[in-house]
Amino acid sequence: MVSESCGNPSVETEAIMSRRPKYDKSKFCIKCKLNSGAIIVRHAVYCKECFPALLSSKVKRILEPQINPNPELSRKKSLKASGNLLVGFSGGLGSTVLLDLISRIYLSHRTEIKKEEGVNKSRGGKDHPRNEPVWKMVSVCYVEVASGFPGMTDKTQKIHQLLQENYESLEFIPIRLENAFDLSWWNKVGGKAALDANTDLTSDELFVSTALNSPNSDSVQKLRSYISALPTHTAIESAIHTLIRILLLYTARSTQSSHLLLGTSLTSISIKLISSISQGGGFSVREEAQEEWNPDSKGAVRLIRPLQEITLKECSMWAWWNDLLVVGQEKYLRDKDGIEALTKEFIIGLERDYPSTVSTIARTCAKLTPKVDAAGLCILCERPLQPGVQEWKSQISMRATKEPSPPSHSSDPSSVLHSLTSYLCYSCHTTLSSRSSKGVSRNSANTSLPLPVWASTHMQGLLVDVPITDMQPNLKEADEEIWLTHKVNPDEMKVAIGEFLLE
Amino acid sequence: MPPKTCALCENAKAILKRPKTGQQICKDCFFHVFETEVHNTITQANLFARGDRVAIGASGGKDSTVLAYVLKTLNERYHYGLHLFLLSIDEGITGYRDDSLETVKRNQQQYDMPLKILSYDELYGWTMDRIVSQIGKKNNCTFCGVFRRQALDRGAAVLNVDHIVTGHNADDIAETVLMNIMRGDIARLGRCTSIVTQGEDTIKRSKPFKYAYEKEIVMYAYFKKLDYFSTECIYSPDAYRGHARTFLKDLEAARPSAIVDIIHSGEAFEIREEIKATQKIQQTCKRCGYMSSNDLCKACTLLEGLERGMASSGITDRARKKLDAEGPLPENLRTIPFYQPPSGNPNPTITIES
Repeated sequence: MVSESCGNPSVETEAIMSRRPKYDKSKFCIKCKLNSGAIIVRHAVYCKECFPALLSSKVKRILEPQINPNPELSRKKSLKASGNLLVGFSGGLGSTVLLDLISRIYLSHRTEIKKEEGVNKSRGGKDHPRNEPVWKMVSVCYVEVASGFPGMTDKTQKIHQLLQENYESLEFIPIRLENAFDLSWWNKVGGKAALDANTDLTSDELFVSTALNSPNSDSVQKLRSYISALPTHTAIESAIHTLIRILLLYTARSTQSSHLLLGTSLTSISIKLISSISQGGGFSVREEAQEEWNPDSKGAVRLIRPLQEITLKECSMWAWWNDLLVVGQEKYLRDKDGIEALTKEFIIGLERDYPSTVSTIARTCAKLTPKVDAAGLCILCERPLQPGVQEWKSQISMRATKEPSPPSHSSDPSSVLHSLTSYLCYSCHTTLSSRSSKGVSRNSANTSLPLPVWASTHMQGLLVDVPITDMQPNLKEADEEIWLTHKVNPDEMKVAIGEFLLE
Repeated sequence: MPPKTCALCENAKAILKRPKTGQQICKDCFFHVFETEVHNTITQANLFARGDRVAIGASGGKDSTVLAYVLKTLNERYHYGLHLFLLSIDEGITGYRDDSLETVKRNQQQYDMPLKILSYDELYGWTMDRIVSQIGKKNNCTFCGVFRRQALDRGAAVLNVDHIVTGHNADDIAETVLMNIMRGDIARLGRCTSIVTQGEDTIKRSKPFKYAYEKEIVMYAYFKKLDYFSTECIYSPDAYRGHARTFLKDLEAARPSAIVDIIHSGEAFEIREEIKATQKIQQTCKRCGYMSSNDLCKACTLLEGLERGMASSGITDRARKKLDAEGPLPENLRTIPFYQPPSGNPNPTITIES
């Protein structure tokens, strides 16, 4: 019995994943057609000389339409951002390559590049408008996560050294994961005063208790408490990513940056997309590629991933050919149980044998959009909040056959109980409430989760019966809209008009 | 370790842990929540109307056996007022269907429901065994799936039903979402989480088990002592779905809610407007009248290929061109009978086994 489609490279099957040959036509570079190929990028062959232009054009294609305040798809005007630039740097391959490419393409004061290429980039002199920098100031931000995981090495110093040696003109901003629980950091980046809030993870309602005059607890302790209270390994992976992203965004705002760039490659985007979809994050599928962040309308930051069309393999070759030192990222979870780690293993395995799968995933998700409009923002991850999440969850699974008894309030008059659930998106609620199949939570002794500072502030803003200094809540009937009002005193008025007063 | 009490009734001893929620509950509470969740799915989606004639796609496997049992139970308990039928397809795979068809016949006796068995041989003139002997073991999933879909609709038309229900469960839907993303099948991705699908000329189809975990269906069958046949199709080789399935099992082990989380994600997004405009519009097949996105539906294309000795013309572009180059369709070639959607006549046109 002879199989008709055996070895047929152009099989267009609907059911079978077909293997295709490594390259389509010849071993010569598809661009210049002269040199012998050195790298195969999804069946197309490129030589070492044409490769830089390939990567550079991919970066520009993603980034440039988003630089000017009004995004335009094709423009001949000059590029001028409304603010500064912050580049998120993790020490990993993606961010190392990102920083290198951004520096080469946009930061013309890298004189060593000009020498290498033998071309003077700043034609017409350095003051020519053409050579005006796109961003006035460029900073690099690194988030150290070691404090959350005892035994992990702190890499801040090493990274600082690396950046000083290679990018001395860029400002280095080191921050730490525990800043998410640090009020002084929060004040520094312009956050409003927040109360200490903790969430009880024993019930799906996720009751929050706040204390007015809480003792100053160490932010490292709070971070470790946060991590140990999370119910699954998947939850830890997801929660850490969210903390890092929000820390970077607030740092970007505090440096008056209009853009935050992250070094997520095509491979990483595919992993994040599948991982996010597997955790119920379909509503924010577009935010995985790019987001416009402006939670309290104090100035938008565009989070862009310029490497999203460049595979891990291309990043590796670039780093190798340009002798880029990659510090690397230490795994913070020793075992590989989380959904993100499983997805990574699955996708990397697929990419090896079926290279077009990775780009197909990214391309398919780029064609999707949320079905309904968002009902605000999730207070934990600050992404669009899908309406009706809890109604959906309660319809899908019956968790009780009787009416639940009302929660018992604590005797402490200063602590108030509210449910966090309705302010969380599906993924964040599932992160905090979904148990693993092992039955017990990872550390059943700790079920009290401290809230990050931004979440406490958002929560405060949404609730009115928590007394906040100087404000007297004006409570109306429960089903009417509730407003916070306070009498404006002359000193406050003076602050507002001070610059116009002549004496 | 002391025996735990049921988390729901707080009365009886807990004897199982629910795969979906992790709750430790007793048998009766499990039956109650499982059945009530399916009932809620049906009522919230307004799946049925009183008097509807509903065909249950019955393969003799666990999903359709439990579906028939649960639908019968709910129909009586909540007075849906439905007329239920069993509809089974015989693909002509020796050893596979023989045993499961016996189960369906037994189900017919046990649940007292009329049964119609439709075979590929009767409809297309080809059994799967004969198809495989011509094309080999690659691409047979395409033939089987396409032929079965039409067969279910045709069987339902013969029975004059308004509605087909299939036993697709939460695991199937989650797997399909992942698979369609991996394959870039944007058209299917936009439809695959819908609980009801209906075209202009096709019979309404729905999946009442959309949110029911496969493990819970097995658990239900086990505790209710329902018998079914579990068979792996001998012709299913290395398919996309297999990869997605393995991955899904790993996700479920890491976090049991992953299955409904994926379905939730699938329901949360849709295709962007500008992409929708480029999608193919549905037409009807010029040869057999079934729904199609091209001039000829896939089943007619596949059958023509089989009849003319070039089976891969339904699969590859190159083979299709070669077939077209050989000339037009010969006059006396076997084709699929013209499809008549149900006319609304309450009396079925042919006798059924009762």
